[in-house]
Formats: sequence, structure tokens, C-alpha cells
Amino acid sequence: MGKIIAIHSYKGGTGKTSLSVNLAATYARRGKKVCLMDLDFRAPSLHAIFKDYNPEYWLNDYLNSVCEIDKVLVDATKDHGNGGKLMVALANPSTEAIRDMTAKDRKWEMKALGRLLALRSALLSDGDFDYIIFDTSPGLQYSSINAIVTADVALVVTSLDASDINGSQRMTTELYDLFEKKTGILVNKVVAEHLSTKEGQKKFNKYLKSIHNLPILATIPCYCEVLRAAGKFIFTEERPEHPFTETLENLATSVEKF
Amino acid sequence: MIYNSVDTEDTSRTITMAVYRKLEGKSTQLLEKIREHLEQLNEKIDVMIEIQKHGQRELPENLPETLDVMTLLSLPDHLRKTAVSLCKLEKATADEVSKQTKRARAVESGYLNQLVIMGYLKKERQGRRAYFYIDRET
Repeated sequence: MGKIIAIHSYKGGTGKTSLSVNLAATYARRGKKVCLMDLDFRAPSLHAIFKDYNPEYWLNDYLNSVCEIDKVLVDATKDHGNGGKLMVALANPSTEAIRDMTAKDRKWEMKALGRLLALRSALLSDGDFDYIIFDTSPGLQYSSINAIVTADVALVVTSLDASDINGSQRMTTELYDLFEKKTGILVNKVVAEHLSTKEGQKKFNKYLKSIHNLPILATIPCYCEVLRAAGKFIFTEERPEHPFTETLENLATSVEKF
Repeated sequence: MIYNSVDTEDTSRTITMAVYRKLEGKSTQLLEKIREHLEQLNEKIDVMIEIQKHGQRELPENLPETLDVMTLLSLPDHLRKTAVSLCKLEKATADEVSKQTKRARAVESGYLNQLVIMGYLKKERQGRRAYFYIDRET
């Protein structure tokens, strides 16, 4: 049986989408069957990376019970499969759809949770997927908490910003712990001097472990090349020799074993 | 005369067997009914024990109507575990939930019934088995 991974963060701009896309591409390169889903209905992003694909329906429609999930999934295997299979579910980026999703009531959110949980049998059992990756919206949004409840593993992306560290700490103890969720921390955009020596790296990892009290699955340096790519392409696909790609490979292995 | 006596004996034996069979069938039915009632009573006692054990104080005063994630967060830990497990199973017996939560069946039965009393779950009997589910439609 496959795994559902939710990638979440307390604050926006931590690199959730970039890590979600690159993690999905990494698993596909390993020959896995992967489904990447945009659950950030307030600020949809994946459509910008997968701009050549026109879905018949959006993920919003699936949650609204307008269609089943097979009508939402677009097959990106031809361009991004690299030996595996990559299917993508996009969120509707129109302002009207964003407004509609933010005005949903609790009853709708309860149904949406049921629809998300149903993906487990539709995609993992029947669809034979190895991984479903949820790219969520930051903070304590309904859609993100629904995604966390549904997921087998939650990965919290955090920067070294004090407010981000503080918020992530609170979020993991006051939300993730209550759902007894298997959680790992990804520290992103780490400045180079923290990781310049092996000794320094060890000390830094110890510090991270002590503040988060959770397994640190990756410390990802801030690479100018990744920033320059500006989310226009899947970095690990275009730059297989880059250290960022190696970090993502290690992360994929850690999550696989987690 | 002898033949007649044998005939009468056979007939009476046949009648006695038929009566026995009928009585046996009735007593089985009766026992089955008693068992069903006992099971229902057992479940009700489980609920009472749970309510007594944890008390109503632990439950939020103004219960929200829907079992969404915010409600899940507001539930006491022991009930949240049961409710999350049922969310994942969609529709399940106390036995199936107990396999997920790794707690005793009787304990899960108590928690599930408590969630039914709180209005978050629905309960449906199919023969001897009681199924619990979340009614997302009404």
C-alpha cells in the first residue's frame, strides 16, 4: 500500500510547492507511480508549473462532488515521468474559485474531509499509486488540517526565521500531536555558514532537533540557482548534478523509510 | 390388535418428535432473542460506564453540529482517537475500530456510542452487528 504525504508549513513562502514538486519528480525518477495534488485553494500554484496541461476538472470540483478523481488527474508522465508515472491534480486559480473556496461552511469541510479520505481507496488501493503528495496552504486552514488528517506522513517546512520556528513549534504540538501524526521537519533556505563544516552541520542539526523535538528529515541550503529558476521548471529534473537534487534524493529516501 | 398397538406407538412417537422439534425451534429462537437483548444491554452499559468514567465535564458545553476537523480537535483525546479512526474507515463496527486503535472492543463500543449520543455518529444494525458511520449528507 502506498503513502500519503502532506507538505505543510506555518508561514507562507517557505518553499512547500518547490519541495512538493521536486519530491514528486524524484519519486517518479525512481520508477514510482506518483500523484501530486494542489491543496492550496487560497493561492493555487501547481498550474503555473504544469501550465501546458488543461484539466477537464479541477480538484475543487472533486471536493464539491461534481466529478470523480479520474476526471481531475492530468497525466504529466510524458514530460516529467522519467521512468515512473506522474499524475497531477490542479486547484482552480481563478479569483472566483478562490473566493468560493474561502466561503465554505463547516458542513462542506466535513464532506471535503470524507472526499480526501476516499482518495486512499481510489488511488492507493485501486489506482496502485506509490505516493500521493499534498501541497497544502500555510497555517491552520481547514483544507490543510483536512490534508494532515488524511495523510500518513506530514512534513513541516520551516525556515530559520524566529516567527516561523515559533509558529511551527506551536503547530506541531497543538495540532499534529493531537492527531498522533507521524511528522518530520524540513528546514529550508538554510544559510551556507551553518553547513560549511561537518562539525558545524552536526551542531546545527542538534540545535534543530532540540527546538523542534521531531526528526529533522532534511536541512536544505539556500541555493541561488534554485531561486534563479523561479519555479519555471522542475529543478531536480533539469539539474541532476546539483547538490539540491542530491538533498532531495536523500529526503525521498528518508521519507520512504520514515 | 398387536399391529394396531404398534401403529399407535409409532404415531405417538412421531407426534412427540414433531412437538420436540417445534419446541426446540422455538427455544432456539427465544435464546437468540435473549442473546440479542443482552448484547444491546451490554452496549448500553458500556456507554453508561464511559459517561460515568469521563463525566460530561470533559465534553464541550456547546457541541458543534458537524464532525469536521475543528470538532475533532475539540474532542477529548480518547474520543478523538475513535472519531479519527472511524473517519478513515467510513463505516465500521466497534471490533474494526478497536483493531485500528489497538484498544479493547468494549472500550471502543463505549466511545462510539458516546459519539452517537453527542450526535456526531450514526448507528445502524445489520443483523447482529452494529455499524457506526458519519452521516455527511444530512
